[in-house]
Amino acid sequence: MICEWLEMTNLAAYIVRRLVFLVFVLIGVTALIFAVTMLLPVTTRAYLYITNFNRVQTGVVDRIIEAYGLNDPFYLQYFRWLGEIVQGNLGVSVTAQSSVVEAIALRWPYTFEIVVFAAPLIIFVGIYLGVQSAIHKDGIIDHSSRIFSIIGWSLPSFWLGMLLLTVFFTGLRVPGMEPQSLSSNLQSWIADPANNFVRYTRVDLIDGLLNLHPDISLDALMHVIMPVIVIVTIDIALLIRVMRSSMLEALNKPYVTTARAKGLSKKMVIYKHARRNALIPVATLSGMLVAGLLGGLVITEQVFHFGGLGQLAANASLRLDIPTVLGYAMLTAIMFVIANLIVDILYAYIDPRIRLD
Amino acid sequence: MDISGRLEEFKSGMRPRIAEWRFMLRRLRKSKLAMAGIIIIVSFIVMGITAPLLAPPQHPDPFQIPQDNDMQRVDTHPTPPTTRHIFGTTENSYDLYYGCIWGSITAFRTGVLVVAISLIIGLLIGVAAAFYGGLLDEILMRFTDIIIAFPGLILAMALRLAFPTTLGIDVSMLIVIFSLLIAIVFVLLRPDRRLILTFLMIMIAGLLLVFYSPIVLNITLGDLDKVLIAITLVGWPGYARVIRGEVLRIKNEDYIEASRASGSSDIRTIFKHILPNGIYPLIIVATLDIGSIVLTAAAMSFLGLGAPDYFADWGQIISKSRDWVTSASAISRNFHAFFIPGLFITTFVVGWNLLGDALRDVLDPMLRRR
Repeated sequence: MICEWLEMTNLAAYIVRRLVFLVFVLIGVTALIFAVTMLLPVTTRAYLYITNFNRVQTGVVDRIIEAYGLNDPFYLQYFRWLGEIVQGNLGVSVTAQSSVVEAIALRWPYTFEIVVFAAPLIIFVGIYLGVQSAIHKDGIIDHSSRIFSIIGWSLPSFWLGMLLLTVFFTGLRVPGMEPQSLSSNLQSWIADPANNFVRYTRVDLIDGLLNLHPDISLDALMHVIMPVIVIVTIDIALLIRVMRSSMLEALNKPYVTTARAKGLSKKMVIYKHARRNALIPVATLSGMLVAGLLGGLVITEQVFHFGGLGQLAANASLRLDIPTVLGYAMLTAIMFVIANLIVDILYAYIDPRIRLD
Repeated sequence: MDISGRLEEFKSGMRPRIAEWRFMLRRLRKSKLAMAGIIIIVSFIVMGITAPLLAPPQHPDPFQIPQDNDMQRVDTHPTPPTTRHIFGTTENSYDLYYGCIWGSITAFRTGVLVVAISLIIGLLIGVAAAFYGGLLDEILMRFTDIIIAFPGLILAMALRLAFPTTLGIDVSMLIVIFSLLIAIVFVLLRPDRRLILTFLMIMIAGLLLVFYSPIVLNITLGDLDKVLIAITLVGWPGYARVIRGEVLRIKNEDYIEASRASGSSDIRTIFKHILPNGIYPLIIVATLDIGSIVLTAAAMSFLGLGAPDYFADWGQIISKSRDWVTSASAISRNFHAFFIPGLFITTFVVGWNLLGDALRDVLDPMLRRR
């Protein structure tokens, strides 16, 4: 009883420590981006505040510099921005023509649609292929998965995307494969208030089902296929490789020999003993992978005009839309730290020998 | 001791290491995938060296892709291969074959330069952090954590855009900062040693500050240089982490203890004992990284942040035909215009990845001799 309680406080303390660390990471990341933008000349930075270039009058730039204190030292400007953040104001995104928080909330579902299919495919298929190639080392499965993963890893994602688009959309004219997240007619149908389409989650796939419009879900599903193929082809490679080598290492451990020697079946030893132990490095990798994917798929979303977080970030940094890039930076940093935290807690669950401290 | 004696001593000292390299080379030669990778890389090197013969330059700047002006009119859309342009042309009648051949030099320059510089930065920081530990380790590693926590491509894009075209570097200020940094590091690490050097550094910094006059070096950065610098600045933390882990592992081995007990300096311990034993994972990572850096640079080109227009760069050529991908009328005319340069990138990266993957099997002490 006391022991359990001690363990709970241990876990709580651990989580608190990691969250404190998160604050430092956030400060570091945003200060870094802030410092990068300070490389720009002050007039360029002032122009970033102008939304309507048709009505720019002489002297406006000077007034902007004055009003926003753009000539102040770096730390003053940074602290001013931090003060705004603490009050919950992330600024206005010029790219999205809305507040940064709203822009992220609106774009996030599209990235989620891709990740919700891509991540399980990558993780489970990757683990399966990795285990199979380790068991049949130097066999056909091993060699073909090795070559597949090396080629997949070497493909430029935008090239693969363009190839798929040429074949399935331009060439074969498969319906529902346009480079966008949902067919245009359905998009305008949803936007029409007369149709009473309720946005429960803002994810087209789920909202379609909740509103009893499976055609919308099906359409969203069709559009998600090609981006998912691109992501899975490229990202599965690393998982297969790590799982394979970790599994090979586990299979050579004395406890596997012991288990075989005491007469357990080969299957039992591979799946119950070796694989469970081999999963630990893969858990880290999977956590990082999902966090990275949720942070947006910059190139893939750009190729398929998917309009998720990655595209928002890419367009924002192309325009040097600083508030949006900073908001995006904080989001990804938060996700990385949380993913790390979940993976660490999972460790203690997978392997009771590991203690959090 | 005379020179030949010392040479003998050196040879006998190096013998195990040479035997080790021989063993690795033999393993590498036996692996079919490694040989395939090496053949691919060598053919790209040959392509780069013979580029002036394969595709004679028509501009003062050989990396400028020639435009076909002899045709009656300039085609705005890509055209399929003909005898005149064996790979066809991309939009505005620029020759694809020329771009693909000269693109190999751009790819080598991007990959090798970025990896070499990030490797050096990562090596310095990783070794310093792990070898001296304590506060220095904490500061350096938290800094690398921050860069790693950030999505690399976005940071590289922001850096690429924020870099000024002419970089004015104040050399005298740089010397002041550098010498002060060295002094601080010395004081932090070894207050008992190198007092004179520390004092000297502070003196230099002080004198320069008293008689301060700026010596500004203006460096003009091309678009491609900015891409390289941006990717380097984003890429080094990975190396720092890998080498730090290795040094931490090796640092407590008995032979390091022995070398320090027999009075070798930090520098000597690091370069003679730690690095030769801990460099292998870094070689693997670097080899695999050359490919992925070429991919990153291509992705930046794709987003319009890479080389200037019609510069011989594979990613840039692909991005030129991006707008034609969804137009049905251009499918047969456009397909080659991104497919061929894409094949060049993929083959190049596959070459490095094959080699890196084979090197991992050969160099990793956990996996080899099995």
